Amino acid sequence: MRQRTQTAYAFLTPYLLIFLAFWIWPIINSFWLSFLNTRSANWTFNPRMTWGRLLVDPAFANALQNTLVILVIQVPIMIALATVLATLLNSPALKVRGLFRFAFFAPVVVGEVAYAAMFRLLFNEFGIINKMLAGIGLTTIPWLSDPNAAMAVIIIALTWRWAGYNAIIILAGLQSIPEDVYEAATLDGVSKVRQFFFMTLPLLKPVILLCVVLSVIGTMQLFSEPFLITNRGGPGQATETLGLFLYRQGFNAFNFGYASAVAYTIAALAIAISLLNLWLGRERE
Amino acid sequence: MAGVTLSKVVKRFGSYEIIHGASLEVADGEFVVFVGPSGCGKSTLLRMIAGLESVTEGDVSIGGRVVNDVEPAERGVAMVFQSYALYPHMTVEQNLSFGLRMTGHDKADIARRVERTAGILRIAELLKRKPRQLSGGQRQRVAIGRAIMREPQLFLFDEPLSNLDAELRVQMRVELARLHKELGVTMIYVTHDQTEAMTLADRIVVLRDGTIEQVGRPLDLYNDPDNQFVAGFVGSPKMNFIPALVVEGDGRGVTVELAGQERTTRLTQPLAGPAPEPGSRVVVGVRPEHFGDAGKGDADLLVNVDIVEHLGGTSFIYASTAGDYGLVIQRDADGVADAAEITVSIRKSYLFDENGKRLR
Repeated sequence: MRQRTQTAYAFLTPYLLIFLAFWIWPIINSFWLSFLNTRSANWTFNPRMTWGRLLVDPAFANALQNTLVILVIQVPIMIALATVLATLLNSPALKVRGLFRFAFFAPVVVGEVAYAAMFRLLFNEFGIINKMLAGIGLTTIPWLSDPNAAMAVIIIALTWRWAGYNAIIILAGLQSIPEDVYEAATLDGVSKVRQFFFMTLPLLKPVILLCVVLSVIGTMQLFSEPFLITNRGGPGQATETLGLFLYRQGFNAFNFGYASAVAYTIAALAIAISLLNLWLGRERE
Repeated sequence: MAGVTLSKVVKRFGSYEIIHGASLEVADGEFVVFVGPSGCGKSTLLRMIAGLESVTEGDVSIGGRVVNDVEPAERGVAMVFQSYALYPHMTVEQNLSFGLRMTGHDKADIARRVERTAGILRIAELLKRKPRQLSGGQRQRVAIGRAIMREPQLFLFDEPLSNLDAELRVQMRVELARLHKELGVTMIYVTHDQTEAMTLADRIVVLRDGTIEQVGRPLDLYNDPDNQFVAGFVGSPKMNFIPALVVEGDGRGVTVELAGQERTTRLTQPLAGPAPEPGSRVVVGVRPEHFGDAGKGDADLLVNVDIVEHLGGTSFIYASTAGDYGLVIQRDADGVADAAEITVSIRKSYLFDENGKRLR
């Protein structure tokens, strides 16, 4: 038995070493770094230059605000859309269900760069979206150069990419609700719409909460879309998110101490917002 | 309250026919049990009455009104499901009142009905609990309660006791009988358990492969089955079937020779109808309790005793014969000797032709 345990650990050791070196150590080290002034030749303990700066840095406040705006607008829209999609996918009237399921899930497996390039083309000043707007007689929108429009593009892109993914999770939740509960409600004279609001939604609550928490964590770390689609958080810093701000501080300015403090702030916010969601959605006895 | 009429009801799923033209009259206030092996279409028939399945052909009427195209909620029926189908996120009280609240019923009336239902089913102390905090029996009561709340003209039960343990099943059976007496409403009950059917039903409907085989009062089915299937399905332990050959027959009766006997064993039965041709195959059906002491019946059988089950008052002897069929023989406990071989006599028997049809 001992021999067998040793063998198991021997096989695990290479992974554990890498895990230690590239996961655990950076996490610990960055916490220490977050207290150091890394802008001088000799790194010195000076939390005022890192944690203190968070409170007064307008660029950080801007990134935080942008991230929260995306969170507050995009996550609810996407989850609502995902719930509707899941309900439609679950409908017995739907034909070629497998095809639809694949189609909605497909955006997740498309490469980030490819999808970002597509969105840049679609929302380009001379792109197809503006062509369509002009075609139906509306004014065109400078999607990537107007701050609000650029934010909208980010939200649309995120929703396109992740709504199907969440719909598939919610669909699994829907399929776990037994059919005869709905039959009982039908016999009770409860309309389909009321069945949805008074039965389906409450029964889906745990699954929807899971989706919200996953989306909150994802949004707090948001990086690729503003980096790739709106060209590093442009126009100006209009779509700079916390993830992008962290990248700029760490790998453009090489201010590792400040970047570490930002990283810990992102993690703390993600945990706090997720816990708030779980608390709001808790089962009340 | 209302009776139910099925006339030539057919159900097809695609090209697959499940119910082949079933016709039935259920009287107002009657307790009718649909019984049959799984897959015989009994639940489908029930769901067609409820409106959860459409009717392909024929008519379903409730209270004299054809309801083929009437919404389930408008049919005045309530249904209790095998899985209880309680709303898991609601308390017992909310489960009971949900339907009425959603259809805009008067609050005072709902409260009155909840109180009455809780009283009838003795679940008043459970009203604030959620389904997962209840035992199987309690859940079943709540499911029945939800049906009572609707004050329906017709109760439908789809194998409601299947998920309960044996003791609870007996208890709930008594409660259902009491409920039927108390409410006096028409009830249609689906089960594969013939004991439930025998004990609860005013009349039993035996189904097989989407066809109604026989309809009748429990003891009529037991004593006078129309065919071998009904004879075998009703009664526990099952009726014994002994293959036989017709030796001779005339206008008054028929003599058959039983297969699988070391000595030539013949049995003569009176028949009102025409006798089958000599040489044709028939089946002799004997209920376990219709075996008697040797020499005191229509024919004596020599059998090998395999196992004896002593139940106290009675004993069941599981016996084998020289043929490839076994027999279950019921005797009084004190009438069973410790012997490897015994001779029993057939006191009463039924004859079935090759297709399983009763020869009378």
